[in-house]
Amino acid sequence: MTALDDLAARSEGGFPNLVAAREQTEAGLSGLGGRLAGVEVDADAAVVLFGSWGRGEVTDQSDYDWAVLVDGAERAGVRPFPAEVEAALGMGAKGPGAEGIFGASAFCDHLVDRIGLDADDNTNLSRRMLLLLESVGIVHPVVRDRCRDRVLRGYLDESVEDFRPPRFFLNDLIRYWRTICVDYVGKERRGGDDRKWALRDLKLRTSRKILFAGGLLPILLCHRLRVADMEEYLRGAFDRPSLDRIASAFLELAAVDAGLRAVGAYDRFLGLIADPSVREELAGVTRATAAGSPVFEEGRRLGREIEAGLQALLFETRIEPLVREYGIL
Amino acid sequence: MNSVLLADPPMALRHHPVGASTGYMAEIRGDWDLLVEEACRVSSFAVELAALSEPELPSLVDYLAATPALPFRYLSVHAPTKHRALSEQEYVAVLAELPAFVDAIVVHPDQIEDPTLYRPLGARLVVENMDSRKASGRYRDELESLFEALPDAGFCFDIAHAWSIDPDMSVGEDLLDRFACRLRQVHLSSVDEGRGHVPLSAEHEELFAPLLDRCRDVPWLLEAPPRLN
Repeated sequence: MTALDDLAARSEGGFPNLVAAREQTEAGLSGLGGRLAGVEVDADAAVVLFGSWGRGEVTDQSDYDWAVLVDGAERAGVRPFPAEVEAALGMGAKGPGAEGIFGASAFCDHLVDRIGLDADDNTNLSRRMLLLLESVGIVHPVVRDRCRDRVLRGYLDESVEDFRPPRFFLNDLIRYWRTICVDYVGKERRGGDDRKWALRDLKLRTSRKILFAGGLLPILLCHRLRVADMEEYLRGAFDRPSLDRIASAFLELAAVDAGLRAVGAYDRFLGLIADPSVREELAGVTRATAAGSPVFEEGRRLGREIEAGLQALLFETRIEPLVREYGIL
Repeated sequence: MNSVLLADPPMALRHHPVGASTGYMAEIRGDWDLLVEEACRVSSFAVELAALSEPELPSLVDYLAATPALPFRYLSVHAPTKHRALSEQEYVAVLAELPAFVDAIVVHPDQIEDPTLYRPLGARLVVENMDSRKASGRYRDELESLFEALPDAGFCFDIAHAWSIDPDMSVGEDLLDRFACRLRQVHLSSVDEGRGHVPLSAEHEELFAPLLDRCRDVPWLLEAPPRLN
């Protein structure tokens, strides 16, 4: 039984939208693997999916944020070529966006060796964090796992101390979360497709926050461990979806009531945005009209409930001294 | 002055978010600008704007429609319980006019005769448990059927009302056990012999602590002025 199952068993009606999304993810991954079966993939490469696929939260509305991840240095001619993946997956309009983070080859050496400074641009930082926090391999998953573990070991260097969270990793995660928040405004100021503003806003309040908290909690909880045990602990944690890591923390830190409400709110949010009519309505919502939109306001309320649950977990349980000591300054 | 700036506040006031229910500000009732200003002196994070008497409701609807932005991150409205003249259908229709940014609309169960009429309020409808003076809405079993008819409705846990029924707090614990997933806010105060809300006593603060500890993630709305040490 997963921590999420445990929490669901204590709730009034379980988490039906999460259960459905996990089933859809499983079925979808199986189907995608089949579609890519005839595509040539280099031995040191994996086809990896990120986002809702990595979180186990796929719905009919989900995008296909994929990359070909190479366990090695940058090189030309990596197979499969992007066009081959696109053709095999048949994504249509649900393919990767224009930012260039997905829909291309990525090289593990960059993710491991370029941390901080100018070379660690938004794309590199995003790929590294998403590989750790919410990704799944659909072809050569063992290569994806190897890359993930290399990135993880890169954080657990000689600077890490017994019974303290790995601060290099912690700082990079916090940097990533704040980058997401700042880039949200950057995208808005840049202009462009305003039809995505409301959904982007609601995702920032919900799934992005789950992504961050799902990384933050295991890192902070490393304070219980000796350095020698941290890699195995973090590997185990990151083998599970973000929400399972969070559910586990709610249970372990005796904040079950808050956990029921936070995960319940997230479940309802998934149900909300899985509805095509809701997506259509949100496409017409702007910052100026948001406060008058019942659908947007319902999403915002659910986001607030998720945030409140996470705040109670971080500031009202025995993990609070760690947040205070390492989380802000 | 914001609650976080109060010198040495009672432990309950250190909760986040805490806020005022304007129902206790009887001397300025109806002056929504002033009520909001007074509520901000307790906290600018959460508030409950109380239109406890039905004639107050239209002015609150107008006030919220005309007010560009309020500082609160959680805003609930307490629906009228006194001087009711509207039919139930009309009552719900006015509540439904409240702007979308209102997070919760708190309704007493004894005001609800036909639950199906309240479905348009969706998840914004929040039902409060009643005190010992009332004939319904006090116990888990009495609220259960209401929530079955209103599956999206939330729960407002009035801890002093639960105490008035059972000073051992078993009824309160039972309510939290059953409706934990629906909990949206807490009403916090003590009650006097006439069941009126009075500032939370130090004795009750200690008695209520175990149950309040289960409500750490929701706003606590003060139904009486904060007790300042």
